[in-house]
Amino acid sequence: MSDDKKRPAEPRALTSSTAERLAAIVEAAEQAASKVIDDAEEQARRQLTEAGARADRIVAERLRALADELDPPGAPGQGSHLRSVELEPDAETEPAPRPRSGSAGARLLATQMAVSGSSREEIEQRLRNGFDIDDTSEILDAILGPEE
Amino acid sequence: MNLTDLQALEERYLMRTYRRAPVEFVRGEGALLWDAEGREYLDFLAGISVCSVGHCNPEVVEAVREQAGRLMHTSNLFYTEPMVRLAERLSASSLGGRAFFSNSGTEANECAIKIARKHAHRRGVSAPQIVSFVRDFHGRTYGALSATPALAANPDLAPMLPGFRAVPLNDAAALRAAVGESTAAVLIEPIQGESGVYPVDDEVLLAAREACDEAGALLIFDEIQTGLGRTGSLWAYEQTPVRPDVLTSAKALGGGMPIGACLTTPDAGEVLEPGDHGSTFAGGPVASAAALAVLEIVDDPALLRGVRELGTRLREGLLGLDGVREVRGRGLMLGVGLAGGIDATAIGTDLLERGLIVNVPEPGTLRLLPPLTVDSAQVERAVGAIEAALLSYAAR
Repeated sequence: MSDDKKRPAEPRALTSSTAERLAAIVEAAEQAASKVIDDAEEQARRQLTEAGARADRIVAERLRALADELDPPGAPGQGSHLRSVELEPDAETEPAPRPRSGSAGARLLATQMAVSGSSREEIEQRLRNGFDIDDTSEILDAILGPEE
Repeated sequence: MNLTDLQALEERYLMRTYRRAPVEFVRGEGALLWDAEGREYLDFLAGISVCSVGHCNPEVVEAVREQAGRLMHTSNLFYTEPMVRLAERLSASSLGGRAFFSNSGTEANECAIKIARKHAHRRGVSAPQIVSFVRDFHGRTYGALSATPALAANPDLAPMLPGFRAVPLNDAAALRAAVGESTAAVLIEPIQGESGVYPVDDEVLLAAREACDEAGALLIFDEIQTGLGRTGSLWAYEQTPVRPDVLTSAKALGGGMPIGACLTTPDAGEVLEPGDHGSTFAGGPVASAAALAVLEIVDDPALLRGVRELGTRLREGLLGLDGVREVRGRGLMLGVGLAGGIDATAIGTDLLERGLIVNVPEPGTLRLLPPLTVDSAQVERAVGAIEAALLSYAAR
């Protein structure tokens, strides 16, 4: 008896159909897995971006809190010594650049000192000593607001 | 049991790793300590910057007492509220990322070293290097020890971990030259503490930041001594022109309870994954409750302003003394460089007899780390005691 006789035609057709179905299932599964990976990566990116934005907001909130402490809201006859930092709407997608020069470093120094509660005079002294900046008013005004 | 009895027991049962001063302290309050004979001391060392909120600060004591009476330990297999609240609080007041808790500063640095190495491996570096400054002190466990050049040179403790190198302090060119493709991190103290209080120059910090950015390496600040208000800002980096990617904290964090923390930016906080690191006791509820109480006290603009003002007063007072060559440091972390020939150890011993506790980290230097809650009268008293000791020394 030949092999052909042992193996009926119908099951062969069925086998072929099953293989196609399996291939389709595998392809669909691969597409689903790829989407899951893409989704996970997108989610991770989103979480990192959100975390970065949260960190920026925290700094801004600390600066605002300090501003409120130095100049309580509604205090008569007083302007703000410390300018509140408002985030740009697209700041959440663009991480803040790191300082690449002495000038940027000076601004970061002044910002960090302001956030940590240092006075205008203290910041000015550090800028003069550490960066040889004679006219510190531009940096100080930008961060703390103009001197009255 | 008197001091002689304690010394005899120490000689018999304790490993000979410390040279203790012959004093047994039994009580503390604020900036004051009392020995077993009832003698009062003004503590300008604060347990090596641990008791920054003063000895037995009532708020810390109450937090510890309350938490210890409720729940002391569960392990990190479960949640406890103080740990999570502390992580949130530390993140919000520093780099905005994640925290890993430890039981000490050296362990916090071990975590930072792991983050740096894994971060480097992820960008294809097979043999990552960590660059530190000569005379940096990062701890005594083997990773941190390997980043502590002076102690790593001890041949009896060899071999150290591979992948560490040191450059001279405040040599920006040497630092730039040492940082390259294989650099995982620059790990530095913004102000060297154990070496004698030597601040890193702003331009060198900028060079470190730039070199790390170019190489893709992490900038790690060891703020174990400088952090928690010691220099007049909550973190020392806040008075520098750079922001680190990772900072480590300990000492003052627990107000006397052992706790450390490795704090990160959001990006660096994503590096470690389950299984990479762990600790049985770390972040326990009692130590975390103490740390929350400490932060409540020190993360206060008024207290920090006081630290800066008293630091200036202390510095000016010391600079006015004969025998004082220079005063280094920031806030209430000061190194007093004595004029040539003055034996700082003799001055330190004399000061202890006069009831003032200081530390001598290197020949010719007194290190002052008073509690941040010290008052101006106590600052004047310390300056007076140092003046008397210097005059007495000169009269010998």
